[in-house]
Amino acid sequence: MTTKTVTNVWKLNEGEIRIPQTNHVIMMALFIGIGVVVGTFGSLAVPVGFVSAFWPGQAIQSVGCIWFGMWGGIASIVFPMISNAIAGSASIAVSLAYVPGNFLQGMMAGWAFRLFKCDPRLKGGKDWAVFTVFGVIICNAIGAGWGVMVLRMFGLISPSSTLTVFLGWAIGNAVPSFILGAILLKFVSPLILKSKSFCKKYWA
Amino acid sequence: MEGVHNKKMMKTLLALIPVKSPLYYFHPVTRLLLFIITGFIPLFINKPELNILFAALVMLLFIYSRVSLSSLKIYLPVIICAGIFTFLTFIFFPGDDSNNQAIGHLFSITIYDRPIMDACIAYSKILALLLSSIFYFSTNRERDILAALRTLKVPFVVSYVLGLSLRSAGMFLEDLHTVREAEQARGLDYSAMKFTEKVKLYSMYIIPLLSLALRRSDEISNALFVKGYAIKGSGKRADYILSKYNFTVVDIISCIALILLLILIVYFKYSYHLFDSDQSIFRYFLK
Amino acid sequence: MENIIEINHLTWQYNDTDHPALKDVSLKIQEGEFIGVCGPNEAGKTTLVSCIKGLIPHNLLGSYKGEVKLFGKDVKALSAKELAKYVGFVFADPEAQFTSMSVEEELAFGMENIGIERDEIDRKIQWAADITGLGNLLDKSPYDISGGQKQRVAIASVLAMQPKIMILDEPTSMLDPFGKDSVFNICARMKAELNMTIIMVEHTLDRLARLSDRLILVGEGKIRRFSEPKQFFEDVDELAELGLNPPSSILFLDKLKKAGLYHGEMKTTVEEVIQVAQSVCEKQRVIREARS
Repeated sequence: MTTKTVTNVWKLNEGEIRIPQTNHVIMMALFIGIGVVVGTFGSLAVPVGFVSAFWPGQAIQSVGCIWFGMWGGIASIVFPMISNAIAGSASIAVSLAYVPGNFLQGMMAGWAFRLFKCDPRLKGGKDWAVFTVFGVIICNAIGAGWGVMVLRMFGLISPSSTLTVFLGWAIGNAVPSFILGAILLKFVSPLILKSKSFCKKYWA
Repeated sequence: MEGVHNKKMMKTLLALIPVKSPLYYFHPVTRLLLFIITGFIPLFINKPELNILFAALVMLLFIYSRVSLSSLKIYLPVIICAGIFTFLTFIFFPGDDSNNQAIGHLFSITIYDRPIMDACIAYSKILALLLSSIFYFSTNRERDILAALRTLKVPFVVSYVLGLSLRSAGMFLEDLHTVREAEQARGLDYSAMKFTEKVKLYSMYIIPLLSLALRRSDEISNALFVKGYAIKGSGKRADYILSKYNFTVVDIISCIALILLLILIVYFKYSYHLFDSDQSIFRYFLK
Repeated sequence: MENIIEINHLTWQYNDTDHPALKDVSLKIQEGEFIGVCGPNEAGKTTLVSCIKGLIPHNLLGSYKGEVKLFGKDVKALSAKELAKYVGFVFADPEAQFTSMSVEEELAFGMENIGIERDEIDRKIQWAADITGLGNLLDKSPYDISGGQKQRVAIASVLAMQPKIMILDEPTSMLDPFGKDSVFNICARMKAELNMTIIMVEHTLDRLARLSDRLILVGEGKIRRFSEPKQFFEDVDELAELGLNPPSSILFLDKLKKAGLYHGEMKTTVEEVIQVAQSVCEKQRVIREARS
């Protein structure tokens, strides 16, 4: 019988000191760049006005927060503002109103992976379950809930369509979020874990 | 006639624009303020005709700035799909308002006046906001955005991160182009692929892009270090870039005018309900 | 001459590696010298210059023993800003070091960091652009110019900061012959006109040997040779074993030596080698005439 060694990637090694460095800031900026490309592409490919559906940028948010903690959280806020402006899928005012929703939408997965000590390489059932529940379902529900509230506030959707738009938004985003998120975690996490940019804690 | 191609052009974030565009008489701060103010104004206006007028004014700004209107082509699907989506949500989900009056039928669905009016309001806002956003990114470079932020004393690290993000988005697109060219050179035929295969392929593109980002983050942080930059304790910087821009009297007047315009719109909206949809000519037509 | 760089028993091992990249290295470099650094791939050349610049241990992870002193100060105690004033660093890949969107801003960036005022920055940009021939490229994006021009921008951006020591880490490795020429010409001009200590890591030994006052051979994390070019090239076979291509002039003289036709010291310039060849021919002519 073979036993599987479970490694806790979040645990600090003896004597290991982790402090935020220039590298984290640079990686965040580059990650925002990736988010802008993916987010703009998603918004232009499925153009449904200010509503979000089948938006792959959400996967970037969740995965970014798992890998880079709060730096990923900041990226989750900034890149949708830029990609929305470039793709014309939200004005500056609407984008600003999305900020708390985008932050929570990203950080949910980052927080859950650290709390439940899951492996970002998705090595076991627990990792997949936490990613699916927190990084896909709950985060998209929160993001869609907040987004729909903002659109209602600005009068950009009809009151009676709120539930339908919410469901379309949450389910529509969950699909690319799961596919792209799983690919990123499975194939890129091994590289990220070895890099200086990986954050075991929230800032380093 | 002087053709666009004969002029010295420069690349902005979304388009090509003549170096001598009249818009560049204005300081980047004025242009940023124009972007912010025009990103808010339509939200306070519930008369579709005013928002359409606003959108038309933005189009005039495009012409004034000598931006080639062909750069707007890629937004046509967005403009059309956003319209269809907006009208469909209001048609299919009209709500239970007892004041709704039926004005027609689409297949077996009754169409009511108020939801259509609301759809017109929402769509006119989206259109106006979308055009003002495209206008800013079509007429400004990364350098202009950074100059505006640094003039406003935004911390250097913030403006640097924003600049690097915008630049890296361009770099990733170039990387993506390289990856796709390499695939085509090895005989990959996109047209023969099924939709699911295309989705999988596009998703997989992100892997080399992220690997490159990891390498770049090390390279850039080393480059910053060798040039004497550290996030902590950098001290006062000369901000050389700002010596290339002058904040003139025209800018001061323009900024004051823009802020006053927003204040007046907000004041008249909430004090006199001047921009409510009740007096809209659209409502007259629907009735 | 004063030793401005002192390395004492330096050992450095990168994280996640099995062996140290540098093993007990000691070295002294004097002010105003042009030092050429060569060696096979993975020998530790870049690691060595990264230690002098302070990238190690400030910006790279690993274990560090020994000390590196610049002007008598330990690099570990110096900030990025202080290090930038002492040492400039040009990487192999010019694009890897760009931080700005126009050549002019790229040149200004380092100077802004070390606290130079705007007027002075403007003056130094013109000066550095003049030396590197970038005058007509200042408005361009550093990403939209040729490889050779990119590397000249990278050199100019460091030169403008006027550091006391300039390190160039394989600056021509990604360039075409024309680009290589332009970089070597700038280095020659820096050596001739500026009172700068220059350390250049390079595979093109031919050009490097002609510029260098002393050459360092790095192999397996150690300094294998550190001497003036004439002594450095005495044993050509070892260089060839390490996969290095000694200058053709040196190979020519080595062949003459092995054939017993030349017994003097190694020469690195073409003019000197021509003189040697002429004297050898003359001797041979005299011998042939004496025989006949």
